[in-house]
Amino acid sequence: MGDSTRRGDVTRRALLGAIGLGAVGATVAAWPRLTGSDIPGRGEDRLTIAIIGTQADAEARANLVKEFERQNPGIKVRIMAIQSVDWQDFFSKILTMVAAGTPPDIVNVATEGAQLFAERLAHPIDEYVTRDKEDMREYFADVHPSLVEAFMYRGHLYQLPIDWNAANMYYNTSAWNAARLPDPAENWTQVDFRAALASMKQAASGDFVPYYWTNRLFGGVVPWLYANNTSFLKEEKAPGGEWLWDEFYGDSPARSLLSGGYLWQQPNADAPEVYESFDFLRGLVVDGLGVRPEGGGGNTLVGQFASGRVGTTPAGGYWVQGLHEAGMKPTDYDVQFFPRWATGEGSELQRHQFGTAGYAIMKTAKDKEAAWQWLKFSASLEGMKLIFSNPNTTPSRRSMVNEELFGVKGPKHWKRFYDTLDRFPATGPIPAPPQQGSVETALIKNVSLAVSGSEAQMKSALQSLQRDLELALRSNA
Amino acid sequence: MTTQTITATAKRRRPFDWGMALRILVLVLVGALILGPVLWTFSTSLRPPAEGLTLPPSFIPLNPDFGSYAEVFRQLNMGLLVLNSALVTGLIAVGQMLSAALAGYAFAFLKFKGKSALFSLVLATMMIPVQVTIVPVFMLIRGMGLSDTLLALILPAIPTAFGTFLMRQYFLGLPTELAEAATVDGASPLRIFWSIYAPLAMPGLAIVGILAFNFHWNEFFRPLILTISEQNFTLPLGLVTLQGNMGTGSISVVLAGVVLSMIPALVVFLFGQRTLREGLTAGAGK
Amino acid sequence: MSAKSVSRSRGSSLMAYLFLAPTLAGIGIFTLIPIVGSLVLAFFRWDIISNPEFVGFQNFTEAAADPTVLVSFGNTILFVVIAVVLQLGLALLLAVLVQERLPNWLRVFFRSAFFFPLILSAASVSIFMGYLFNEQFGVVNWFLGLVGIPAVPWLTTPTGASTVIILVYVWQNFGFSFLLFLGALAGIPKEVYEAASIDGATGWRKHRNVTIPLISPTTLVASVMAIISALQMFDQPYVLTRGGPGDATRTVVMVIYETAFKRLEFGKASAIGLILMLLIMAVTALQFRLSKRYVFYQ
Repeated sequence: MGDSTRRGDVTRRALLGAIGLGAVGATVAAWPRLTGSDIPGRGEDRLTIAIIGTQADAEARANLVKEFERQNPGIKVRIMAIQSVDWQDFFSKILTMVAAGTPPDIVNVATEGAQLFAERLAHPIDEYVTRDKEDMREYFADVHPSLVEAFMYRGHLYQLPIDWNAANMYYNTSAWNAARLPDPAENWTQVDFRAALASMKQAASGDFVPYYWTNRLFGGVVPWLYANNTSFLKEEKAPGGEWLWDEFYGDSPARSLLSGGYLWQQPNADAPEVYESFDFLRGLVVDGLGVRPEGGGGNTLVGQFASGRVGTTPAGGYWVQGLHEAGMKPTDYDVQFFPRWATGEGSELQRHQFGTAGYAIMKTAKDKEAAWQWLKFSASLEGMKLIFSNPNTTPSRRSMVNEELFGVKGPKHWKRFYDTLDRFPATGPIPAPPQQGSVETALIKNVSLAVSGSEAQMKSALQSLQRDLELALRSNA
Repeated sequence: MTTQTITATAKRRRPFDWGMALRILVLVLVGALILGPVLWTFSTSLRPPAEGLTLPPSFIPLNPDFGSYAEVFRQLNMGLLVLNSALVTGLIAVGQMLSAALAGYAFAFLKFKGKSALFSLVLATMMIPVQVTIVPVFMLIRGMGLSDTLLALILPAIPTAFGTFLMRQYFLGLPTELAEAATVDGASPLRIFWSIYAPLAMPGLAIVGILAFNFHWNEFFRPLILTISEQNFTLPLGLVTLQGNMGTGSISVVLAGVVLSMIPALVVFLFGQRTLREGLTAGAGK
Repeated sequence: MSAKSVSRSRGSSLMAYLFLAPTLAGIGIFTLIPIVGSLVLAFFRWDIISNPEFVGFQNFTEAAADPTVLVSFGNTILFVVIAVVLQLGLALLLAVLVQERLPNWLRVFFRSAFFFPLILSAASVSIFMGYLFNEQFGVVNWFLGLVGIPAVPWLTTPTGASTVIILVYVWQNFGFSFLLFLGALAGIPKEVYEAASIDGATGWRKHRNVTIPLISPTTLVASVMAIISALQMFDQPYVLTRGGPGDATRTVVMVIYETAFKRLEFGKASAIGLILMLLIMAVTALQFRLSKRYVFYQ
């Protein structure tokens, strides 16, 4: 035990002290970071708007916020981007915020969550729309009523559609040409589609996938069900909504179809048409024409399509920007309407599916008038021009789906994006009742089983889907 | 014949060692299976984003392209993610070292009522998985007004039953005579702890710290639940959401993020491997 | 005089409690209160938004009747059994190979290599493994293609996905058991083997008769630790498969997470969590039981 040990102890003690002091120093210095109080606008009295996405998505709305604040002095806005892997994840985070006692005032909600919010969390906007009807006339004239109807719930309106996407069929033109296929017809059928896949497969070499799809509510089995004029849930419509339709869509050709909103209250997975559509997809998988869909996947799909190894895949206008960034030229691919079913009622309707999104005012919002001003401004032509500078979604306003946005980067037939609504009035939103979370989970897990095995496995998966849906719909969201 | 030539001939005559060859073959094979995926990750992150999926795979980056790394920084606030992970991990590690050292010392050297009962209680909580208590912890955090903050990740992770156990064992291995001498001199327990035992226990503290670092740097479950704002994400969470967002279309970008997140762990691996090994196996020796 | 009596002479239990305060308060607040909370919550229905409602044992009966919950327990137990057997077998084999007759630098190299995955985050590992196991564009199928095996649908069929989850888990975690075995092997005195070879035991027989019995305490500890950690599997299925296809890779912890934070059924989630905890306690209790038999070696 000499001096050396003691000196060693001193330096060790100094090191320990330094670590301790460092931790204290870091805690003090980083206190705002540790408590989150450095997040801009947090804890302040601001109109808080939650959107799905990253900080970059929030910043993309900076101009919109600036202009809104300029026109509405006294209202301060805070955009809160919530990174989520999918909509369901986003909604559960919003619910968590509600649970944590810090709900946002406005939430950007897609069809997936529209009824969940309408049922439990959102405040209807009927009174504001009626009050400001003169201002709103121009908006509704520019927006297809099917999109608006998707945000109608039991006769009340909850959101104004800002953007939307249909499931159209993207196809790789070089794979298409290599198979010597003529351009697909606008009224092609699933039989034509299958034949085209087979030719592409034959003409291609190596790891080529004729049909790539993802297993989720949007763009999974649903477009094939709608094509066959069926769905995995019984589709009904609520009465009501005349206040809106008579005011703004009195002379629309679709007026007779417009209702107080969709209702999905019963499972329908045992319908013969559902069986037919599932069996078609299973056939594609069995014959190597389509992939077995990955659960929650889609994250590499743009890259795979851009790399030329995917023949066809369902997507909407939101894909154009991604393909452009991945280096695809507009001539490398094109887009066609989703095929119709060759037989049955679907044959005449050629019904398509879409999903749309817009802002919903939360029941808990303190200043609902300010929130409505935000909804109104972001739906205005001026507001939309501030955010849609790139074709990474389809604007709800027909006049915005134009040469300027899609002409340069988009495929030859980009007009088909909005024509999906204008030319096919039966086109409807993806089925998303208030219990959407459990419904989508039930769908995804049974679809993956149904299409990746034998017919017997498919039968039992459909039975189990029917049972799971019954359970899901019975619970209160 | 010299001695050297004799041994040389002996060596030459020894039959080929099949056992040894097989042994090395198996080890090399497993080694390749372990390191291969990591090399592929690294190498693919250095491919141009458009070629991320190109086959055959590459394991050695011959023409490194750093585009994906730039893209990660464009898409993710990488600096903030690293800062968050560093703050959370660092403060948990120091907090655990401090609290475990104090508690371990008390359990090793101090005498007080209910000692063995308290120690058993602490040990018993080691078995309780975090997933079982996450819902009430979430509520507690809400009650404290700490929802969606980094403190929500840090505070619950500081008390450590395992670290306390480890430090107690470590202190028990130290000589007691030093304390006796100091006590005779009239030093207080705190003083004895700080001037004599804390410095001696540094290697044990390092184990606690490194284990905490390794675990919490890579932690996924709690951040997934306890943070909401992107500004409060830690690295693993940021990476998984980067993968989930469909914007990129390139796996090279995701893998670049993965590689970046590995760097600090790699540094610990290179410089603290021994401590980490000791720490990981320490629990088994109880 | 021991240090214990030294501090008694100062007569202050108070000082000891001060030393213990941070840890005990922390454990009390963040572990004990939550455990009690879980116990209480398990008997309520509560979605945080509306008021809690007492429902007795309903959460437990509902969980027991819920096919997803049952399947998740089945999956978890299956994964645990296969993963732990693979993990321990591989670890023991490699530990023996590394420990014996290898030049030191090679031993250090392989030890580091096998231990390396432990420092990575399971989330990162699952991300890159997901790409490697992709059916169309994955490296694994590319290699299989080289030897003429057609592409395996790894992540999109129940068997394939379960296999991947187990492989990825074992890939990352076997290094831990490996380290434990390495330590145990190093602790076996050379003389024991010498004695065994005098008796004529060589190669495999030597290991069966000497190594395996001698390291059995380590085997026990390693298996218990591996079982407990595998019972809590979450990151791999969450990132790789989201529990699919179907429920094929849904683990108990995934169901707890989904029940609580996707569906806001906090009571039911607590009930499932408690069942998992009982399972873990049972494994630990079994360890104590068994270790008494092996106490001789310790």
